[in-house]
Amino acid sequence: MEMTEVLAQINEIAKDVFDDENIVLAENTTANDVEDWDSITHVQLLFSVEKQFGIKFTSSEIAKFKNIGEIIACILAK
Amino acid sequence: MLFNSLIFIFFLPIVFFIYWFIVNKNIKGQNFFLIIASYFFYGWWDWRFLGLIFFSSIIDYFIGKRISEVDHRKSRNILLILSLVSNLGTLFLFKYYNFFVENFVSLFTSMGIELEGSTLQVILPIGISFYTFQTLSYTIDIYRKEIKPTKDLITFLAFVSFFPQLVAGPIERAGNLIPQFLKKRTFTYHDGAEGARLILWGFFKKVVIADNCAFFVNNIFDNYPDQSGSTLLLGVILFAFQVYGDFSGYSDIAIGTAKLFGIKLMENFKFPYFSTSITEFWRRWHISLSTWLRDYLYTPIVIQLRAWGMMGIIVSTILSFTIIGFWHGANWVYIVFGLFHGIIISYEILTTKQRKRWKKKVNKRLYFVLSLGLTMGFYLFTLILFRSNTLTDAIGYTQHLIDRSLFTLPMIIAPKYRMIYTLLLIIVFILLEWFNRNKDHVLDVANLPTFKRWGVYSLFILLIIVFGRFNNNDFIYFQF
Repeated sequence: MEMTEVLAQINEIAKDVFDDENIVLAENTTANDVEDWDSITHVQLLFSVEKQFGIKFTSSEIAKFKNIGEIIACILAK
Repeated sequence: MLFNSLIFIFFLPIVFFIYWFIVNKNIKGQNFFLIIASYFFYGWWDWRFLGLIFFSSIIDYFIGKRISEVDHRKSRNILLILSLVSNLGTLFLFKYYNFFVENFVSLFTSMGIELEGSTLQVILPIGISFYTFQTLSYTIDIYRKEIKPTKDLITFLAFVSFFPQLVAGPIERAGNLIPQFLKKRTFTYHDGAEGARLILWGFFKKVVIADNCAFFVNNIFDNYPDQSGSTLLLGVILFAFQVYGDFSGYSDIAIGTAKLFGIKLMENFKFPYFSTSITEFWRRWHISLSTWLRDYLYTPIVIQLRAWGMMGIIVSTILSFTIIGFWHGANWVYIVFGLFHGIIISYEILTTKQRKRWKKKVNKRLYFVLSLGLTMGFYLFTLILFRSNTLTDAIGYTQHLIDRSLFTLPMIIAPKYRMIYTLLLIIVFILLEWFNRNKDHVLDVANLPTFKRWGVYSLFILLIIVFGRFNNNDFIYFQF
């Protein structure tokens, strides 16, 4: 799968999790850039991503993600 | 030693002088001196528990080191469990053992079985809940490979015992504090002045706001069956300002004192009483504890429960907040306090989208005021639990509060003039916080011209001298 394709799919999930139709994610987007991105929505987003791509992140991966790019890289590596 | 005691007024300048002018030649000397100063600071209260701090530090120092050396997963797990057991075990023994014994005995008694349970004659070592969490986070972070262990025992002992934050936080992370102890510190006028301003503001909150409120709060809570509903409402409002002034005042003095030594501690309060939800409140109140539990308790649990979806998030939230409550003390009132907060935050999680829609429909200012009011109302209700000695007292207080006498004028408690100036000072305090809410703290006046700046300092020193209470009142959070 291509990077841009993964990003687009995560973007769709984010729209739902953060309840914001106008959200546009980039590789360097961090939790600080999105108003409602907190510890609750963080796990909601990641669990939805896991379901969408049929993968499982490890606990330490979940704790370490710094931005969207790292999540994408992790998905592509699985 | 208390910050608001005479001895501290001598202690601080002496330690400051030796730190910057005598042992300033090398980093190790400075750190070693900080350990001595910190152990003296703590020992002034009770030297017998110094061994406990030392023991807790040594255990995690060696376990941390060992974890980083072994690769085998099973050995790493065993080492982590060893640290958890020794830290939480100590905490359990000193803080929770009697609570569990008494509750088991009464549980069996209620089922008709007589049990003989022996409780321990122990006093709670001050600060134990704070420094055990701090040393635990060090080991867990090494286990998670987020930090490397320090090879310098002196630095590690200084990190655990650093006197400004030893007894009541902020609960620092090794990743923030240890690197600061490892590099050369230089004194800057900017940091020194900022530290002094934080100390001044912290003292104002503690001896003027909190300790004046304390007098009336104690009076009202101790005699709640005889008070009118409105007086009880006033009592819990005054307690809200007492607990906030007390704990955030302590934190400001701690952060300010650390700054005098060239050390930057984390922010612990961010104007929590202007929160428009309980979720937001916990992002602004005792931040070092709420983020600690988020990283080491909530997140690991929620990851384990991810298969349950939303249910897993709710269970993790309620569990985490109940434990936050229980952390405050071995008493059912704290457990129920935490449970209520967990339930309300779960409600907020489940209605996030709905509330966002309401927000768009309603007038912005009205929505803000309503949210602020509802949040405060719920918070005050749970504060009754927080201040009561038993659940029975908390229920009694609430029953007496929700009464027709709620719609009368509250009773003025003598001395009358003191009640009046306490209420006026609280109003001034809220206004100061409100108009400075976008700054780091209220006395953030570094950019004012010298003349005005010193005017502000003089005014606050004067307020402290005139209205401050200097009867060595303990800080509330020292008992936790």
